[in-house]
Amino acid sequence: MASFILRTAEPKDVSDILRLIKELAKFEEMEEKVVLTEKDLLEDGFGDHPFYHCLVAEVPNEKSSEGYTVVGFAMYYFTYDPWIGKLLYLEDFFIMQEFRGLGIGSKVLKVLSETAVKTRCSAMHFIVAENNTKSIEFYKRRGAADLSSEEGWRLFAIEKKNLLKMSAK
Amino acid sequence: MEYKLRKAEPRDVPDILRLVKELAKYEEMEHQVTLTEKELLEDGFGDTPFYHCIITEIQGEKSSEDPKVVGFAMYYFTYDPWVGKQLYLEEFYVMDEYRGLGIGSGILRHLSNLAMKTRCTGMMFVVAENNEPSVQFYKRRGAEDLSQEEGWRLFRFDKDSLVKMAAPSEE
Repeated sequence: MASFILRTAEPKDVSDILRLIKELAKFEEMEEKVVLTEKDLLEDGFGDHPFYHCLVAEVPNEKSSEGYTVVGFAMYYFTYDPWIGKLLYLEDFFIMQEFRGLGIGSKVLKVLSETAVKTRCSAMHFIVAENNTKSIEFYKRRGAADLSSEEGWRLFAIEKKNLLKMSAK
Repeated sequence: MEYKLRKAEPRDVPDILRLVKELAKYEEMEHQVTLTEKELLEDGFGDTPFYHCIITEIQGEKSSEDPKVVGFAMYYFTYDPWVGKQLYLEEFYVMDEYRGLGIGSGILRHLSNLAMKTRCTGMMFVVAENNEPSVQFYKRRGAEDLSQEEGWRLFRFDKDSLVKMAAPSEE
């Protein structure tokens, strides 16, 4: 009997998804930055036009930690590269500490890879913090290339207040 | 010189591909553009658009001439699990001979408006570290280099790696 299952997230999973987003943010020491609410997640992920998709990992009741059966998630969406077309973008990926080493992470990547191939994506992209060596190794072991290193790409952001400034001119 | 900014339509696909290739050429990567007009059409103007485009056209000198497409921006919506929707600027290019006329600023202003209207909390994009003119263009408008400030690096699994990972494993 499998010790966990992976499935597509449903509206009822929204509170678990938010819990796991906050746990990952806490691990990165950024928990106060999570301003998203369950209502946002519900509208944005399960409305007419989903802005993201989620996979959740679940363990049987008996194995749960503090009553939680959803122990991991991956959030992704589709992006577009003007040279090669559709891409799968892996935005967030987190398994609760006590459930690591069971192959859940590998299975998540396998399912995402299948999804990417099925939807005719040419590649999967994601970002990793340069000091997160464990994650970098996890991905490199599976063939990931560091495009920041190889091609010099840097990620930029223009936040709301500056967008407002530009839109007003 | 009058220029007009508008949403791209299916008929603009050949011009979009032309400008994508021009930008790739400028980055010395023209042969890497394998996308076709057919794919751009299906992917951008089908039931589920995977990208959106705005284009800038310039009216020819004679009124009988067709307007010429001289710049474009390709964008889509992404999702930040901390703050929600973001506008992601994927590609942004104005033909060399038409720079310095405010076309680029006009495009960014339009995109900023759109981001506000669609309740995005920010706009994100990548820039090559050696592309000084672009880095300055964005920094002047308040852009922050998150790779520098927060250490983010962009990674990729290419098709071969995806196929390997998707394959059934030997039990």
